[in-house]
Amino acid sequence: MGAALAFQSVTKRFRNGRVALNDVSWSIQKGAHACLLGPNGAGKSTSVRILEGALRPTAGSAELLGEPVDGPGYAAARLRTGVVPQGPGMYADLTAGEYLRIAAELYGVSPARAIATFGLRDHARTRMAELSGGFQRRVTLAAAFVAEPELLVLDEPTVGLDPKAAHEVHQYLREVMVGRTVLLCTHNLAEAEALCDEVVILQAGQVIVQGRLEDLRRGARSRLRLTAAQGPQALVACLDGIGPARVEGRSVLLEVANPEAEAPRLLRRLLAAGVDVFECTPVQATLEDVFLEAVR
Amino acid sequence: MNRPLLVRPRLSRPVRVLLFRKELRQFLRSRTALLTGLLLPALIMVIAPVVQLIAASASPTQRGAVPSGVPGMAGLDHLSDLFLYFTFPLFFVLGGLMTPSLAATHTVISERERRSIELLVALPVSVRDILTAKMAANLLVAGVTLLPLFVVDSIAVLLLTDAGPLYLAAALLLVLSSLAASIGISLLLALLARDFRTANNLNGFFVVPAMIMTGLCVTLVPGLWRFVVLSVLMLALGGLAYLIAVRWLTFERYLT
Repeated sequence: MGAALAFQSVTKRFRNGRVALNDVSWSIQKGAHACLLGPNGAGKSTSVRILEGALRPTAGSAELLGEPVDGPGYAAARLRTGVVPQGPGMYADLTAGEYLRIAAELYGVSPARAIATFGLRDHARTRMAELSGGFQRRVTLAAAFVAEPELLVLDEPTVGLDPKAAHEVHQYLREVMVGRTVLLCTHNLAEAEALCDEVVILQAGQVIVQGRLEDLRRGARSRLRLTAAQGPQALVACLDGIGPARVEGRSVLLEVANPEAEAPRLLRRLLAAGVDVFECTPVQATLEDVFLEAVR
Repeated sequence: MNRPLLVRPRLSRPVRVLLFRKELRQFLRSRTALLTGLLLPALIMVIAPVVQLIAASASPTQRGAVPSGVPGMAGLDHLSDLFLYFTFPLFFVLGGLMTPSLAATHTVISERERRSIELLVALPVSVRDILTAKMAANLLVAGVTLLPLFVVDSIAVLLLTDAGPLYLAAALLLVLSSLAASIGISLLLALLARDFRTANNLNGFFVVPAMIMTGLCVTLVPGLWRFVVLSVLMLALGGLAYLIAVRWLTFERYLT
């Protein structure tokens, strides 16, 4: 299976001298659900802009569905790609139906199926700016999905939505992502973890992590969650010298090389010291742990 | 990177037609855009010139105090001639340049300021397609607005002065050249301005060199030649603005 998206030594330098991407190389295989993570200014939106064909790399090459973004086959590849933009403004003088018809005509298809899939039939005559946030986002999803593309590029699809609307968008995404390659660009690590199985982390215009989420979790530092009747501060005092410990709520997260082997010894030591431990659980690394460790 | 990224020959024509229709539809639904697009041109192209002609024809002396020794003033000793050859070119240039630029402020700047441009960029279109469609829509709106106003001017000129069809042809050439020049200026405006306030300031700023050129032309070039020379200069100014926009600023600036 070939790469659906590929950046090869891509550098993007703007006219003001700012370098958004610095010799970046990463790729996503066809069929993968990958997330593009990174702090603000890491180069995520620039990457999406390059894939959209709106920005041109200063050096290197980027490919969309196997076609270089500056090549003759790009236009056809772009027609097989749907893009959900980040927090777009809505037209006050176009209805949802009119916008979706424009999108559909550009892709050379009918908007009927996308309108039905995203439950927009009753709102097709409503001006876009008058729709609720959730419905506005559904319109952008429907426009991206209108041609049932092979590849979906989602740039912060739930940013600015209330939890209910975000949940609704997630449900739609789960449905439409099946059988498609997806690149999800997000700040929401829980969203990324729920929807994706591959991760690319950018920082200051460079790739610092790329891999399968499962592998990255396994490679992350193992930890034990400990909770004691005396509270987290008493635990931290007793754990001094064993490994890096961090208070999280009423518990302490302790980094250890081998949780299963070290937990019994640790428990004996804590109980002997008079600390009444009532919880000791190995903790699997989350995407947040992987991310924080990477960008530390 | 051998080919220009933003040009997609196979898709360009239907895409631009589709976007052009969208722009027109939006323009016609926007009251602010319509009012701005109609009121100012009406004031510049009809009200001010026709009032001048009526005043000149009603004047008992019918003569103005014309300075001698200025090439552009030679033979303009009749008050209506002075208006026809001295102030009318200023109105025609101003109308031709300002009307599309004001329309561009609404269609281009508002789209960027409200971030609805993101909806378009997410679709399979290039920034060049988007801006080309917007400029074409602005030009059409400006043309449809200005040409009927020019017809009103023409009737007034034929009824109230001795000028004939040759004068009107030269004046029309100037209006059309200014309209054409406005494409480059509107594009420059679209790439430089990020909000309405900057756009309005830049609109005023861009008109200054055109007004200086017009002032020099009407003063130095005699007879109908001033319209021809001014038309060429307008086209050169528009071409220069277009080159600066495309080569130096580039379409990427619209999104960054």
